[in-house]
Amino acid sequence: MSETTIGGGAQAASTSLRNPNTAAAVRVGLAGLIAAALLALAFSLHDTPGRGAAASFSLLVGVALGVIFQRGRFCFFCILRDYIEHRNSSGLFAILSALAVGGIGYVIVFGAFMPNPSGQGLPPDAHIGPVSWVLVAGGIAFGLGMALSGACISGHLYRLGEGYTRAPLALFGALIGFGVGFFTWYTLYVETLSVAPIAWLPKTFGYGGSLAVHLAILSVIGIFLLRRAPELPAQAGGKITLQRLYQSLFVTRWNPLVTGALVGVVGMFAYFRVSPLGVTSQLGSLTRTTLNNAGLLADRLPGLDTFAGCATRVVETITNNGFLIGGLVAGALAIALFTNRFQLSRLTLRGALTALLGGALMGWGAMVSLGCTVGTLLSGISAFALSGWVFGGAVFVGVWLGIKLRLPE
Amino acid sequence: MAFRRILTLFALALLVLSGFAAPSLRAQAELPESAVVSTEWLAARLDDPKVRVVEVSVVPGLFERGHIPGAVNFVWHTDLVDPVIRDIASPEAFQALVRAAGINEDTTVVLYGDNNNWFAAWGAWIFSIYGHEDVRLLDGGRAKWEREGRAVSVRPTSHPEGNFTAKELRRELRAFLPDVLAVVKGENEGVIVDIRSVAEYEGRIFAPEGFQELAIRAGHIPTAVNVPWGRAVNEDGTFKSVEELRELYAAVGVDGSKKVYVYCRIGERSSHTWFVLSKILGYNVAQYDGSWTEWGNAVGVPIENPAGTVWGKQ
Repeated sequence: MSETTIGGGAQAASTSLRNPNTAAAVRVGLAGLIAAALLALAFSLHDTPGRGAAASFSLLVGVALGVIFQRGRFCFFCILRDYIEHRNSSGLFAILSALAVGGIGYVIVFGAFMPNPSGQGLPPDAHIGPVSWVLVAGGIAFGLGMALSGACISGHLYRLGEGYTRAPLALFGALIGFGVGFFTWYTLYVETLSVAPIAWLPKTFGYGGSLAVHLAILSVIGIFLLRRAPELPAQAGGKITLQRLYQSLFVTRWNPLVTGALVGVVGMFAYFRVSPLGVTSQLGSLTRTTLNNAGLLADRLPGLDTFAGCATRVVETITNNGFLIGGLVAGALAIALFTNRFQLSRLTLRGALTALLGGALMGWGAMVSLGCTVGTLLSGISAFALSGWVFGGAVFVGVWLGIKLRLPE
Repeated sequence: MAFRRILTLFALALLVLSGFAAPSLRAQAELPESAVVSTEWLAARLDDPKVRVVEVSVVPGLFERGHIPGAVNFVWHTDLVDPVIRDIASPEAFQALVRAAGINEDTTVVLYGDNNNWFAAWGAWIFSIYGHEDVRLLDGGRAKWEREGRAVSVRPTSHPEGNFTAKELRRELRAFLPDVLAVVKGENEGVIVDIRSVAEYEGRIFAPEGFQELAIRAGHIPTAVNVPWGRAVNEDGTFKSVEELRELYAAVGVDGSKKVYVYCRIGERSSHTWFVLSKILGYNVAQYDGSWTEWGNAVGVPIENPAGTVWGKQ
C-alpha cells in the first residue's frame, strides 16, 4: 500500500513541472491565491445575511486547524500507529497537550456559560453524550475504520489537502456509513441510548475538582508514555534569526506539545464563539438530507436532535460546520503547497476499496457515537464528559486490533 | 356574477389604496413605556438596580455567547413551563426562579429574546399571571439590540436574592378548553383570535413549516378570526404604533368591547398577541395556551376546516 511520505522535506517533488524554480513559484503562488480567497470568503460571509460572524469564524477555525494539523501532523491514526507499531509515543503527547490545554480552556468558558455546574442541565451544546455499549462499539468500529482507511475523518480532511488520494474515497465511504448509522439509529436509541447515563464530571467534582482529576489522568498517561519517547535531535544554540524562525514555522515539523496546545486553544475559542470542534456534522447532514429527499429516511429520528454532539440535520445549505471542514481542507492544501508537502499519492485498487470500507466503518461509528476523534474524543474529553474517555479508549482498541490484524497493509 | 366580481375588485382596490395612504395620515402614537421599552431606554438603565433584564431565547447557547449586560437567563422549556405535566411553571418553581434572578416586588422586569420575543412574551404572561405588574418587553428584541451594535456581555451575573412572592393565580389571563368552548357555543361573550398563519387557520397544513404535526385535525376553532401575529410588528420586529394596532384588530371585530381569547399552536406566538392586546391596547385578554395542539386533538369539539384537509389520508 502506498502511504504518502510526508515530512520528507524539500526533496519531495510536487508537480510535474520540470524546472524546480518554476514549480516553486507555481506552488507558492497557488498557496497565496488560496489564502487570499479564504480571507475574501471570510470577509464576505461576515456580511452575508443569515451567515454572519459565526460562519466566518467557523471558516477561519477550519483554516487554523488545517494548518496546525498539517504542520504538526496531528493525525490520530498516524499517532496511534507510531505508538503501537513503531513504539514511538511522541505524537501522543500532542493529543495529551491538546486535552490538557482544552480542559483548562473549557473550565474558563464553562465558568461564564454555567457558573454553577451542580444545577440542572448541562452547559449549552458541549459534547457530553450517553455512555453505553453503543459508544464502545462505535469507537471500535471507528478505530478499525481508521486502520483500514489510513486516517480518521479529520486526518483524511487535512491529508486531502496534501494530495492523499484515498481521502476522498474514505470520506465518501463515511457518508455511506452515516446512512447505515441512520437506519440503525431507531433501534439503538430506543433499546439503549434513551436510557443510557450521561455522565459529566463537574456535576460531581465541580469545575476545579474536575480539572484536577483531568490533569492528573493526563499526567499519569504522560509519565507512562515517556517509556516510548524517542530521542530528540540535538538543538543548536545561538540567536533566533529570521531564517531559523522560517525554518521552525515552515520546514521542520512542529513540536507535538506546541501542536497540541494550539489545537486546545482553537477548541476553546471555537466553543466560546460558535460550537465545540467537530468535523462530521456537515457530512452526516449531507447523508441525512439526501436520504430524506429520496424518501428513504423518516423526517425525525427520535432522540437524535436532543443529544449534544456533532448534530446532523436535514439542511439544504452549507452549515457553519461545512465552512469549518472546507476551511480545514483548503488551509491544509495552502500550507502543504507552500511548504512543498503536496504530493498526489498513487492509488491502488486495494487502497481504494479499503479506504471506502474503512470510511464506512468510521461513518457508522461517528454516527452512533455522535462524533469522531475530534467531536467526541477531543471536544468531549475537554468538556469533562465520560463519553469522551470511553470513546477514546474504544478507538484505541479498534486501531490496535486493526494494526494487529494487519489491516493497514 | 360579473357585477359581483367587479364589486369585489373595487372593494379590494379601495382596501389596498387606503392601506397605502393610511400611514402618512396616521399620527404615530407612542407605545406605552409601561409595556414596551426601546433599546435606548434600556441602554440608559443597565446599571439601575430597580431594572432587571431577563432573556428568554429558545436557541441554546445564544444567551451564553453574549447577552445584554446584567441580564439573567430563563429557559422556556424548563423554567417557564412544568417539565412533566403540560402546564405553566408552578408558583413555587416560578417564585424560586424569579427570586434567584434578584427580582423584588417593585422591580421593573424587561424581557427580551430571539424569535421576535415570542418566548419573552410568554415570560411576560407568566409574570402577569403570578401578579408581577411591572413587566415590559424590549421593542425589537434581541435582533434589534444586536443590529444596533450595542454591547453584549458573556460574564455571568449574580444578583442578591429578591423578595418577589407569587400571588394568587390571575385566572382571568388564562383560558382552558371549556372556557373557549363556551364562547364558541355562545354561552359566554367573547371573541377568539387565531394568530397562526393563514395556511394553518384554513386547514391547508397541520403545523408550520419545519415543525412536527402535533395535531391530528386541521383548521381552526369555529368563530375565531385570523390575525397572524406578524401583522402586529414592523419589518424590523418592532411593534407597530398604537393606532395601527388598534385598527388592525378593530378590522376583525376585536376592539376591546368583548373579552378576547388568543391561541396558536402551543401558546408561544399567541403570547405575543396577548401582549399586544392586553399590555399595549389594554383590552381584557386571556390566552388559551392549550391552543391548537389541544383543540385539534380533543375529541368531539367543533372545528372549522375550510380546506378540508384530512389527516392521514393518502
